Amino acid sequence: MSAVVPSLPNLPVKVAIKNLSFFYGDTVALKKVSLPLYANSVTAFIGPSGCGKSTLLRVLNRMYDLYPRQRAEGEVLLDNVNILDPAQDLNALRSRVGMVFQKPTPFPMSIYDNIAFGIKLFERLPKSELDGRVEKALRGAALWNEVSGKLGASGLSLSGGQQQRLCIARTVAISPEVILLDEPCSALDPISTARVEELIDELKLQFTIVIVTHSMQQAARVSDRTAFMYLGELIEFDETKKVFTSPAKQQTQDYVTGRFG
Amino acid sequence: MAEHIVSAYNKELEVLGRKIAEMGGIAERMLSDAMDALSAVDVDLARSVIAMDIRLDILQREIEDSAILTIARRQPMALDLREIVAAIRVSGDLERVGDLAKNISARVLKIASEPRLPRAIIGLKHMNEIAATQLKDVLDAYAQRDVEKVQAVWKRDADLDALEDSVFRDLLTFMMEDPRNISFCAHLLFCSKNIERVGDHTTNIAETVFYLVTGESLPMDRPKGRVNGLKLDNEAPETTI
Repeated sequence: MSAVVPSLPNLPVKVAIKNLSFFYGDTVALKKVSLPLYANSVTAFIGPSGCGKSTLLRVLNRMYDLYPRQRAEGEVLLDNVNILDPAQDLNALRSRVGMVFQKPTPFPMSIYDNIAFGIKLFERLPKSELDGRVEKALRGAALWNEVSGKLGASGLSLSGGQQQRLCIARTVAISPEVILLDEPCSALDPISTARVEELIDELKLQFTIVIVTHSMQQAARVSDRTAFMYLGELIEFDETKKVFTSPAKQQTQDYVTGRFG
Repeated sequence: MAEHIVSAYNKELEVLGRKIAEMGGIAERMLSDAMDALSAVDVDLARSVIAMDIRLDILQREIEDSAILTIARRQPMALDLREIVAAIRVSGDLERVGDLAKNISARVLKIASEPRLPRAIIGLKHMNEIAATQLKDVLDAYAQRDVEKVQAVWKRDADLDALEDSVFRDLLTFMMEDPRNISFCAHLLFCSKNIERVGDHTTNIAETVFYLVTGESLPMDRPKGRVNGLKLDNEAPETTI
């Protein structure tokens, strides 16, 4: 029988998404989505392609501001401050809400500079301190042992899995509060995937993590809570163990068991 | 429920379900034949029960193997996951029911040459009727995913426990009446224990079906039917594996 698994601890809400709707021109991509993202825990967004999960992720650091005719309605409260407010300083926001993309996107510069670049944008540090921060970030992303002897080599010379961890290190380096992961393992082999998942487990001790993934097994493995979305609506949001063992909604059941029509 | 996108997955689950149904049928048959063999001291029938157990063991292995393969191949989730875990558990319980019926039959072979005491078997027959009905009901409930029926079965197990107590006292009386009854009645004592354990496995299946359908567990404490129980304070908990 199902063992008595302790419930998740009561953690503070880091980000509260309230009645969030999103539009690409006239197309509605999110319909009044509300959910909390808890501090120091991993929240996974799952759902079929086009369900709005990546859109939701992109709202959380206002990525969509880079594109015309895209707009959000509702509220996204980061520590009780609405980040959708037009007065929100986007650079400040993105330093607090970091993002890692599907494909590794190292800058065409040395491993060292890939990390130092972001730090230098926000802080002016003496070289020795900068070195320390670079090392800390690389250690944080479980990459230090593999690259410590070749920090001057190009970031592009690393393997795909290493590049992705370099991107995570780059994100971690500026000490954000929330980390958004958009299918971070979809281009990685199983070993690199396992390394990144191990990393996620460690990172949640410091950060609030949101992950979009097409791999349900990955969502089941790494997340504490799971949100299932379909056609721009939030269908179910619950503890991950519940969503993958006995979801409340039929649509969720159909999706996670591979019965979706 | 909609079908899986991968049709082979549906087939795997169907095959599991069919095999469980076959196991259930065999286990029921073994239990009732074992009791008939006991009350008539029918050695041939007892031997045929013993022979049936092999099929049950093979089916259990097959179910386990294909369940493990399905887990490896499909990474089942939600209802499918519960379905497969249930199949593994239920097949284990049914296999044990077969072993218990087989044990009763083996005792028939042993008591065949003993002096008999037909009135000592009456209580056992009654126990077996209840156990057989319970087993049938829980298997129906499993096939129909019927939670109410499952809960009824789960609650009724207390009756069997209570009856076992009274059978125990009766057999004790017969043994004290005439020491020549001791060997025969001692075998019957074991048989009553076997039937009581069939009830425990039935309760296990009821709990599994409840979990399968609802995703929730029944309470840890099972209904108790013993008045002044057989259990001593320092007795180790019974294993029902």
